[in-house]
Amino acid sequence: MFSFTKKQEIFDINGVKIGGQPGEIPTVLFAGLFSKGKPDLITSQKKLQKIFELSEQLGNPVIPDFFIKKEEYIEIVINFIEKSIPKNIPFSIDIIDPVIKTKVLELLKVKKLLSRTIYNSIHVGITEEEFNSLKNNKPNMIIIVAFNPKDKNPDGKLEVLENGANLTNDGLLNIAKKIGIKKILLDTAALAPGDNSGAAIASIPIFKEEYGLPTGCSIHNVVEKSKWLDNYKNSRKIVDFSSNINISAFGGDFTIIGPLENAEFVLPNCLGGYSYIRIL
Amino acid sequence: MEIIKTSVIGSYPIETDNMKFIKNYFNGLENFWDEYISAAVNDMIKAGIDLISDGQTRDPFINIFTRNIKGCRIRDRPEVINKLEYLYPIIFEDIIKIKKYLPKNKGLIGVIAGPYTLSESVVNFYYKNKMELAFDFAEIIKKEIDLIKPYVNLISIDEPFFSNKFPDYGSELIKIITKKLKCLTRLHVCGDVSKIIPDLINLPVDVLSHEFKAKPQLINSYEEYENNKKICLGSVRSDNIEIESVEEIISHVDQASSIFGEKIIQISPDCGQRLLPRDIAFKKLINLVKAGEVINGR
Repeated sequence: MFSFTKKQEIFDINGVKIGGQPGEIPTVLFAGLFSKGKPDLITSQKKLQKIFELSEQLGNPVIPDFFIKKEEYIEIVINFIEKSIPKNIPFSIDIIDPVIKTKVLELLKVKKLLSRTIYNSIHVGITEEEFNSLKNNKPNMIIIVAFNPKDKNPDGKLEVLENGANLTNDGLLNIAKKIGIKKILLDTAALAPGDNSGAAIASIPIFKEEYGLPTGCSIHNVVEKSKWLDNYKNSRKIVDFSSNINISAFGGDFTIIGPLENAEFVLPNCLGGYSYIRIL
Repeated sequence: MEIIKTSVIGSYPIETDNMKFIKNYFNGLENFWDEYISAAVNDMIKAGIDLISDGQTRDPFINIFTRNIKGCRIRDRPEVINKLEYLYPIIFEDIIKIKKYLPKNKGLIGVIAGPYTLSESVVNFYYKNKMELAFDFAEIIKKEIDLIKPYVNLISIDEPFFSNKFPDYGSELIKIITKKLKCLTRLHVCGDVSKIIPDLINLPVDVLSHEFKAKPQLINSYEEYENNKKICLGSVRSDNIEIESVEEIISHVDQASSIFGEKIIQISPDCGQRLLPRDIAFKKLINLVKAGEVINGR
């Protein structure tokens, strides 16, 4: 097994641990719900139950990652989280629109759910309103997406964390600290194939050594956008699921796996990856 | 009398749409910078400026170069971690794109970060001394200049660090990068250059450019020396949001003409306009152009 010289943080959210040296803590999966838009509550409830059971059997935690794409879905999704997600399980909210982000944070505070919330995510698109809303409604944990439109290499990803690449007034790490959040997860920003997608995996050990913070990415996005795989339809899902093993093999701590239904197949892969890294 | 051309120094303030960058990222779409470059160029064209730059919208000028030179990386600051190598063009592609849509009556400036300023701006983890580093930067910059020279009307070298200290090897550095250049060359040094004028006037460049508006005393400083260089006269401030009137600019040029005479061939902002609000930067350029029209019409 390899290890990092830098002390590796392990963060706890509702009993789920993320981080540490390679092989120390099982890889955590973030599994997406409602990514297509309209929340399908009944089907999702059933799928979640099945995945939570499988997660318990295999030992890799699964954190539901809730997409909220329209304001009209905010209450529906938050009520679903409140009523249907077991209280010992944390969740993440995955939103792009800063206006929706702000409203969701306010409602999570009202519902007293912020202690279970992983905020997915802050990035160079952070607005002043979002920053202020995060200060007033602090989630327990935050994901920083290290996407730098100026430089897709690991150096560029580090730059955006360090100084915002002159796109933001401060580095994204400092912004998270100014918000007052200590539990920071780093997403190495996987890009479309042919667009230096490998840099997301290469960045994992670099980030871990540099900051000691839990690190991962959504390598699924690379596979999903690989058009060449359309010629190999039977293989697409296999490639998608198995791609996640790269994250643990490179010392990563979490993987954002795409839709929830992928979890059934990615979970055994991640357990395999976790076993592999423990043996190395 | 030679027509005085209006020019910019380099940077122009264009705000990027970071949310668009991130939406494209999440949707797996590529991000392009062309819209920001063309916004800067179009503002300059619309204002009536004669000599136009790419606006340096991608990055602060040091980062534009260090980001694309092998051996450099950018952390909190640009760092040199290995021997420098020229791997691929730095500003060439932007120059080619601008050239395609630039009106024929407009000139294009190739704005280059000077090797001394580059060597002083980076954190050096590799070279034994800054001189060695500066000479390697010069060799790389020269390659970029040779690539862009057929497409530009002016090569403008930014060396703001000369005003802090003009190194013993400063002249050698400029010689390397201007060697065998046939197009017009300009050296821009902002700050107080009064003590280094003897060095500057002997450099192998055609035009010297300084922030004469913020530091009008520099005009008198030049009077002490026999100067054969042409002058790009900083005529509107880049560090102040107050918009100089046309009359004020004309009066400033007149004052400078009493010392420089016909050596003034360009008027420009004092420095890059990156730190100004866009509307202020634009209005300053408009008044600069109006002043130029009056001066050239006399």
